[in-house]
Amino acid sequence: MTANRLPAQPGEYIDRSKPISFTWNGEPIQGFEGDTIASALTANGVRVVARSMKYHRPRGYLTNDFWDPNSFVQVGDDPNVRSAHRLAEANMAVEAQNVWPSLERDIRAANGLVSRFLTAGFYYKTFIKPQRLWPAYAKVLSTFAPGGTVDLDTPHRYHDKRYAHPDVVVAGGGPAGMAAALAAADEGASVMLVEHGHQLGGHLLWGDVNDRMLADELRSRVESHDGIEVLLDSTVTGRYDDNWTAIVQRSHPIAVERLIKARAKMLVVAAGLIERPYVFAGNDKPGVMTSGAVRRFVNMYAARPGTRAVVFTSNDDGDAAAEDLARVGIELARVVDARTGGNIVAAKGGAKSVEGVELADGSTVDCDLLVTAVGWTAPTSLLNMSGDRPVYDELAARFFPSRDIDTVLTTGGMAGDGSHEELVAHATATGRLAAGRAAVTTHRLQAATARAAAVSGAEPAWPSDDRSALPRHPQRELFRSTTHGIVDYSEDVGSKDLVAAAKEGYDSVELLKRYTTATMGPSQGKLETVNTVAVLAEARGETIEEVGTTVWRPPYAPITLGALGGRVFEPVRVSSIQPWHEANGVTTILAGQWIRPEHYGDPAAEVRNTRENVGITDVTPLGKLDLQGPDVPKLLSQLYTNKWMKLGVGNVRYGIMCAEDGVVLDDGVTGRLGDEHYLMTTTSSGAGAIWEWAENWLQTEHPEWQVHVTPVTTGFTSINVAGPKSRELVSRLVDDVDLSPEAFAYMQVRTGTVAGVPNCFMWRIGFTGELSFELHVPSGHGLHVWESLLEAGADLGVKAFGLEAQRIMRLEKGHFIVGQDTDGLTKAPSTGMGALIKLDKDDFAGKPELEWALQDQSLPHVVAIQTTDPRIVPEEASQIVRAGTNEILGRITSSRMSPTLNRSICLGQVAPEVAAAGSELTVVLTTGERITARVMEHHAHFDPEGERLRG
Amino acid sequence: MSFLRSLSLNSVGQRVAGSRGANGDSQSKPPRYSAGGLFVKGARNQPWPRVWREVPLQKSYDVVIVGGGVHGLACAYYLATNHGITNVAVLDKAYLGSGGSGRNTAIVRSNYLTPEGVAFYDRSLTLYNTMSVDLNLNVMFSERGHMTLAHTDGALRTMRWRAEVNKLQDIDSSVIDPQEVKKLAPSLDVSDHARYPILGALYHPPGGTIRHDAVVWGYARGADHRGVEMHQKTEVLDILVEGGEGRDGKGAGGKVTGVRTNRGDISAPIVVNCTAGWATLISDMAGVKLPISTRPLQAAVTEPVKVFLPTVVVSGSLHVYVSQTDRGELVFGASVDPFNTYNIRGSLEFTEELAGHVLELMPGISRMRLLRQWSGLCDMTPDYSPVMGFTPVDGFLCDVGWGTYGFKAGPVSGEQMAETIATGQTAKLIEPFKLSRFATGELVGEKGAAAVGH
Amino acid sequence: MLLVPCPNCGPRNASDLRYVGEAGPRPDPNTATEAEWRSYLYIEDNPAGLLRETWYCRAGCRRYFVAERDTTSNEFVNSPLPGNKIGGKA
Repeated sequence: MTANRLPAQPGEYIDRSKPISFTWNGEPIQGFEGDTIASALTANGVRVVARSMKYHRPRGYLTNDFWDPNSFVQVGDDPNVRSAHRLAEANMAVEAQNVWPSLERDIRAANGLVSRFLTAGFYYKTFIKPQRLWPAYAKVLSTFAPGGTVDLDTPHRYHDKRYAHPDVVVAGGGPAGMAAALAAADEGASVMLVEHGHQLGGHLLWGDVNDRMLADELRSRVESHDGIEVLLDSTVTGRYDDNWTAIVQRSHPIAVERLIKARAKMLVVAAGLIERPYVFAGNDKPGVMTSGAVRRFVNMYAARPGTRAVVFTSNDDGDAAAEDLARVGIELARVVDARTGGNIVAAKGGAKSVEGVELADGSTVDCDLLVTAVGWTAPTSLLNMSGDRPVYDELAARFFPSRDIDTVLTTGGMAGDGSHEELVAHATATGRLAAGRAAVTTHRLQAATARAAAVSGAEPAWPSDDRSALPRHPQRELFRSTTHGIVDYSEDVGSKDLVAAAKEGYDSVELLKRYTTATMGPSQGKLETVNTVAVLAEARGETIEEVGTTVWRPPYAPITLGALGGRVFEPVRVSSIQPWHEANGVTTILAGQWIRPEHYGDPAAEVRNTRENVGITDVTPLGKLDLQGPDVPKLLSQLYTNKWMKLGVGNVRYGIMCAEDGVVLDDGVTGRLGDEHYLMTTTSSGAGAIWEWAENWLQTEHPEWQVHVTPVTTGFTSINVAGPKSRELVSRLVDDVDLSPEAFAYMQVRTGTVAGVPNCFMWRIGFTGELSFELHVPSGHGLHVWESLLEAGADLGVKAFGLEAQRIMRLEKGHFIVGQDTDGLTKAPSTGMGALIKLDKDDFAGKPELEWALQDQSLPHVVAIQTTDPRIVPEEASQIVRAGTNEILGRITSSRMSPTLNRSICLGQVAPEVAAAGSELTVVLTTGERITARVMEHHAHFDPEGERLRG
Repeated sequence: MSFLRSLSLNSVGQRVAGSRGANGDSQSKPPRYSAGGLFVKGARNQPWPRVWREVPLQKSYDVVIVGGGVHGLACAYYLATNHGITNVAVLDKAYLGSGGSGRNTAIVRSNYLTPEGVAFYDRSLTLYNTMSVDLNLNVMFSERGHMTLAHTDGALRTMRWRAEVNKLQDIDSSVIDPQEVKKLAPSLDVSDHARYPILGALYHPPGGTIRHDAVVWGYARGADHRGVEMHQKTEVLDILVEGGEGRDGKGAGGKVTGVRTNRGDISAPIVVNCTAGWATLISDMAGVKLPISTRPLQAAVTEPVKVFLPTVVVSGSLHVYVSQTDRGELVFGASVDPFNTYNIRGSLEFTEELAGHVLELMPGISRMRLLRQWSGLCDMTPDYSPVMGFTPVDGFLCDVGWGTYGFKAGPVSGEQMAETIATGQTAKLIEPFKLSRFATGELVGEKGAAAVGH
Repeated sequence: MLLVPCPNCGPRNASDLRYVGEAGPRPDPNTATEAEWRSYLYIEDNPAGLLRETWYCRAGCRRYFVAERDTTSNEFVNSPLPGNKIGGKA
């Protein structure tokens, strides 16, 4: 048995038949299964476990629980592990954090020598001059940063998430939480009982024999109740709108840590109370700890935290701690009772351990363990998150909820004090109330869904809260003794710092917090907020209620980024032809969610082949909307700037869509397939948005129009067959449509069978400027048609071409791309498509703005540009400036080397003064070099009359 | 307008005589912050004087500034410092810097898209660079570089657009490739395996971070020393306007006569709206409608770990930005919440999406723990640019609509608003941001390529 | 996660819907002045209180509807509102 392990204790949680060993800073530590790292270290005589952030003072366990600010250690590659909560495991490599060269001899403790100069916020007053040295100072300061080391090569382990819809979530598995869960489940509610620690029981776990009996009884009833799901080592870490509750589950067989999102109909908060440390000189010496810390060490883990103790008590818990110490043979040098006027003034001794304590009566008592019991803090985070502002009660010296909101109820220590019977009775009433209200909510939810099966019965009345309040035991207000000590242990902020800051004008809680950083450390304010408020109140001569408190923010307990992120579901979309692309040397490009073929090795060759022979390209992501109904032309007229009322069956028209501010939203062709059947195409990035846009007009402005819109973007695989031999190729696969130029002209659409696949749409349009047929094939047969084209056209020189080749060809033809050649401010007249804006239409999206825009001479123009030196390909976004100046007149928006023309070609946006054909431009290359270029007459650099298209 | 000029002349006289605040009490020269001062005060156990005075609220001022954040305080500071106008009160319904100034993620940069945007924000960066010395308070400006990642070729094109515009104004910005990105921030995943691989980034070395609260305190202290009064817990309940076309004589054509507060009425010929989150509520009091919708912007911070991220990283496509403080905490932010609300309790989906996206950028930090999330209110305008200057109500000016980018503009906004107030003419740098642009349709070009900007 | 009352699907997680914006009438495009049209485009009411707004049930029934919500508490009041002709700029 190690030096500080006590003989078997009646309520201990360690299993002495299962010894474990691990290392602490390389030294061997003996423990047992059930030990936390902290209890094992303590049982092995370790007193100093950390160094404080700023002054690097040695620190020992203060509260011996999850919130203990001195408990952070590095375990393997895991930083900031809370060693008073984490269970010890065999072969763990545990190390102290933020020390150099070692925990024992940390040289940065030299800071302590100048601590009177390094008051909180000292850095605001210094390092001002010379300014250029601030980065160097900052670097030095950053080496003092607290916290462990994160290993950037940590593999992304498995994190999962879960959704739950319990009737009642109970936060806290102490006696109140268990009783409330049982009562709710007995009423038929489904209950999730979430407990922070490794076992159910709360404060009963380190209590006396009666406490343990109650804990055992409640626990066995809970565990055998089918209606209660128990989550251990888990915390309700946030309550959001409409009781959307975040639960972090730390112990899970597979996932490292898991987030559970529970839409709880009712939330019962039974989180208990957190013991407050006392502020006095020397209060951060190792060996100074709270009564709960001591009772946990001794009763739960049989670990001896000291040999000779002084206990400063003001309540039952302090008294019980003294009894426990005496019971296990730790010498009780003195019990100082605040209720009879006693007080402790200062802890004496070296930096590494308390050696004695000076009392208010002037005497000094030797000790190596100083225990304080000065009261409790209610962790009201979840209530804050529910919109409550808790109220301070002087009698009980802590905050209480001001009222319970309808769907969040409080019970246990946060609601009051009392005997076991009183606490259990209040919790039972709470659980029953929660179940009753959950039942009403269930009824309401079912009734609120218009198409739900008929809900039986009228809505039951919302149960009112008739619970009698719990009594409140008086607790002396003990925040700070007559001396100054540490208030925020993890930030090394003392009461002296707070008083000085308040005097300097940072005298509201929020300002004080920001200036001193008090409450902003890893204990998240649990231990230090109330003491901070109390010290401020004292400095201002006000009450705690007048000073108020800072708002508790989520998360209540820390949660890993991995658990929050879970598995990110970001689907990718591929067309049915993807297997062929992959087997044929494709280089892909990501376009939104789509993975698209960019090229197959040589885009310039792909361009040449398409213009000389025939090429096929997969354009499946092209947005496609199926429109049916008698009023489709009205919808088209409303969405597009041009006219659609007289489009004949089999004909196709190009249009631009604008938003209500006249900015170009999308463009594409729409064809009439039948009397009341049209097919609209949009840009691939606009597919979803334009569908919603169309629906918006139909549902909100014109519900009287009869139009059905069905998105069919993925329902069809789209293949563009382009080039002088495209008609020849397509005709080899199509029998039931006359493809001759007389029967099937440019800008027309037909329905037919391709390679044996019926119900395909065939368009004669052409982004590439070549004779082309765009085939829309029901997706299941896309790959078949693609392969059939390649096979049938082998002798014609058919080759696949990708997005890059298509981009080059469209640029050769001067087709602008919405979102690349236009931007968030480009109005339709700027594109040169002013003729498509038909102001004599009654109404269309953006009409007034377009009318004014057509008269606005200051709008930029989209123009075709060619550089003087044909070999130079300016990078897209290169700026166009007024010669000899840096004044920006425009920019290059699209730019490529044209294999067809053997020179560079561009589109750009320019100011009206240089938009006329022939204008000379100065382009600033990204290297800084300036070159000249010229505005072309047409957008198309190649075949401006479109002869090849209309063949 | 001559009224304002005469204001300036009187105040210059006061300045020469030894600045007198509105209370008439003389300000002795305040002690300078310095290492030496720290030593002396520490050795003598002496307290420092108040960072700003607590003084009684007067019944009238020459200028009332509504909103005690960085914009309002900077305006007050520059009114006093550059124009000698010191009979000024800054009113805040809570404590100074409690709004956006106390909640932002403290990133400053000038790599904007439009020449007018660049000129404007760069002026701010220039002021930030010497602020610690100018205000005699260390605002911890850390020039650590700012990187905006591009994950699509469209985004890369936009980054290049910004870089080119920046270069023409002598701002240091350039487009860098994934290997250079990796060198600057080794924790980033620049491989092909990422769902949205990094194609490059806009790198802006002059960008960095600052201690936002310190900027607020610095301006407050500086303004206070020159006689400006700061009044906390003073809420403006109404703006007193006469002769306007709207209801109760408010609105276009009216003239401001003062404000009504929870501590009484104050008369003032000039009232400046420097609020964020409440901008439309305040402007409604004067009868002025704004193109603003208010949305929360959330942020979060992790536990501290040893510093590994030396630069600020932003990803537009992933809607996330991250930096690491000198204390070792990672600070994150994303886009504004998707619907209008004044409720800033925060949401879980924010931290979930944020974590998911951050882990795509830096897969190695999945064990780091989130410690705290908070949010503030952002006033969003249609063109990602503020509303500054005169309004249809005479004497009522606005410096609002700052969306998610208000903090970095605090200094230049204060400087330019002060000039506008003192001269009666809209300062040149803020001309593009006038309220009337929405009536004429001349929206600012930043809308051209909006992304997550921080 | 806010619950939004879709008229067809019942209360749904806000992530199932898209927020469209303040609901309000669309001026007559043929008679509106520049000021009126741009007020429709850009000026917002932005109240701290009850706001009529349009939502789109993106992941469910795909209907646009108008609701009334208190923007200080996020509580929906009398929602969804009946009727379809609601205007708005999507």
